[in-house]
Amino acid sequence: MATQSITININGDAKSAEVEDRLLLVHFIRDNHGLTGTHIGCDTTHCGACTVLLDGTAVKSCTVFAVQANGREVTTIEGMEGEALHPLQEGFMEEHGLQCGFCTPGMIMSSKHLLDNNPDPTEEEIRWGISGNLCRCTGYQNIVKAVQYASNKLQETSEE
Amino acid sequence: MAQCKTSPEVGGMGHSVKRKEDPRFIRGQGNYVDDVVRPGMVFMDIVRSPYAHAKIKSINTEKALAHPGVAAVITGETLKEYNLHMMPTLMSDTQMVLPIEKVCYQAQEVAAVIATDRYSAADGVELVEVEYEPLPVVVDPHKATDPDAPIIRDDKEGQENNHIFHWESGDKKGTDDVFKKADVVVKENIYLPRIHVASIETCGCVSEFDSVSGQLTVWMTTQAPHAIRTVLALVAGHVGLREDKIRVISPDIGGGFGGKVPVYPGYVIAIAASVVTGLPIKWIEDRRENLQADSFARDYHMTCEIAADKDGTLNGLRINTLADHGYADAAANPSKWPAGMFSICTGSYNFKNAFVEVDGVYTNKPPGGIAYRCSFRVTEAVHAIERMVDMVADELGMDAAEIRMNNFIPKDAFPYKSPMGWEYDSGDYHGALKLAMDKIGYDKLLKEQAKKREKG
Repeated sequence: MATQSITININGDAKSAEVEDRLLLVHFIRDNHGLTGTHIGCDTTHCGACTVLLDGTAVKSCTVFAVQANGREVTTIEGMEGEALHPLQEGFMEEHGLQCGFCTPGMIMSSKHLLDNNPDPTEEEIRWGISGNLCRCTGYQNIVKAVQYASNKLQETSEE
Repeated sequence: MAQCKTSPEVGGMGHSVKRKEDPRFIRGQGNYVDDVVRPGMVFMDIVRSPYAHAKIKSINTEKALAHPGVAAVITGETLKEYNLHMMPTLMSDTQMVLPIEKVCYQAQEVAAVIATDRYSAADGVELVEVEYEPLPVVVDPHKATDPDAPIIRDDKEGQENNHIFHWESGDKKGTDDVFKKADVVVKENIYLPRIHVASIETCGCVSEFDSVSGQLTVWMTTQAPHAIRTVLALVAGHVGLREDKIRVISPDIGGGFGGKVPVYPGYVIAIAASVVTGLPIKWIEDRRENLQADSFARDYHMTCEIAADKDGTLNGLRINTLADHGYADAAANPSKWPAGMFSICTGSYNFKNAFVEVDGVYTNKPPGGIAYRCSFRVTEAVHAIERMVDMVADELGMDAAEIRMNNFIPKDAFPYKSPMGWEYDSGDYHGALKLAMDKIGYDKLLKEQAKKREKG
């Protein structure tokens, strides 16, 4: 199996490895570098549990080869917290936007992509924004509230 | 209504509570089974049958074993050496861990490949060559007991057809008499289809055996770690895995809904492989495996009848059910009745006579009948009775609430003995329905409905 030497910047850290061409980005993140916050739910791009940001755009890392991310920047759930929790993380906790927590990292990353591009989304836009992410505990109502919480908080902060 | 709320200083009742697990989940610091890593850990992947019913003519592992990453291929023959190719189910049936003679459902486990990494294990699965001879299949449970239906469980001594059990409750003769004299009989065939829980995290485990202490540790995404420990000892006690030598760790779980109660063959293979190789073994299903092979819920074909008077008084209930159990009866049913507590099907109604019977059959489908409280069969029972009461109301042109109010077990009848023998300790069904109707504004809704119907 052919291999390539790649470097991916994950959450600000350059991560290098010699990888097989077929290695999926999600396995590079989880298995090669131990960042297990990104989950695998379906292997087929349906569930969104593996969503990460690739150069700021939400992608499903189970359907991206690691070599495709060579030289690019990846943000995972582990990169969301700065000095304080990201308002999205806070929102999910405050609004009870999770039960089992397995879909949560993907939900947060998709929502990050949404709010970066549309800071004040309507409820419909939020539902559309997370439509590629499945929650099987059926918490969409509170997930929407969590994103609204983050949207409000981010806007308040930017107005100050 | 009285509010139950403690003071803010005390907290607790009436106050929202922050969940202890959320801070790690929102940071991606959960510990689900696929996050567990052990030193020297290797990976397992499973070869699955493309046929729902087929003889296995041969399994050739040569090419798979030639793959540089593949360490071992485990087949039914390998497990048979340890008498681990079969396992008991919680319903006193048996099921295959890995087959020797034939497969009985599509995606059934046929062999397992142990390799240094996930990708090599998947390569190995592709390289295992299995020769099948397809057999006729039983898919429709209504045809399972036809004289010409192929016998699925010909491995079981004395099993001459696909019938598993007949179970009944109530008074057949008394109920039949009520139906003979009834003003109105309403009958409906209700099929509650086979469904899958599809928890967002699939099933899997990491199995590690310490050959010095003889201690087995299994990290498993299970809802029932204590029961699983007991079952594992039942399955493998004869090879020395006593209950006190087994530790089952259930880490964070990405949803279960009942689908993470059973012991799936994959678990047993992974455990056996870790004992034999001495290496920690990780097995994680993919979604296709999860949906095709794991436990289902429901699959009840119910023929329901109610005998009523013209005024809507419900006198008799009769339900005949055909239960599709797949190729093994592997429900996780703590009641130990083959149809769980299905005989609660008289519900909240004051039936004097009722009779229910259930026949379980084998079909060429995965076993189960376990999810969403399904082993108890209460969901099926409640659906059947409430749907039937609605149908009687429709038949007689009565209001759905009115017919219920007229037939509820009265408050002063508790403790109440149901015609199926259950004792109900307490209840006020009239009060509860009245409260619900007031809360939703039932009368107003009926007026709105009438108005809209007038408009067309």
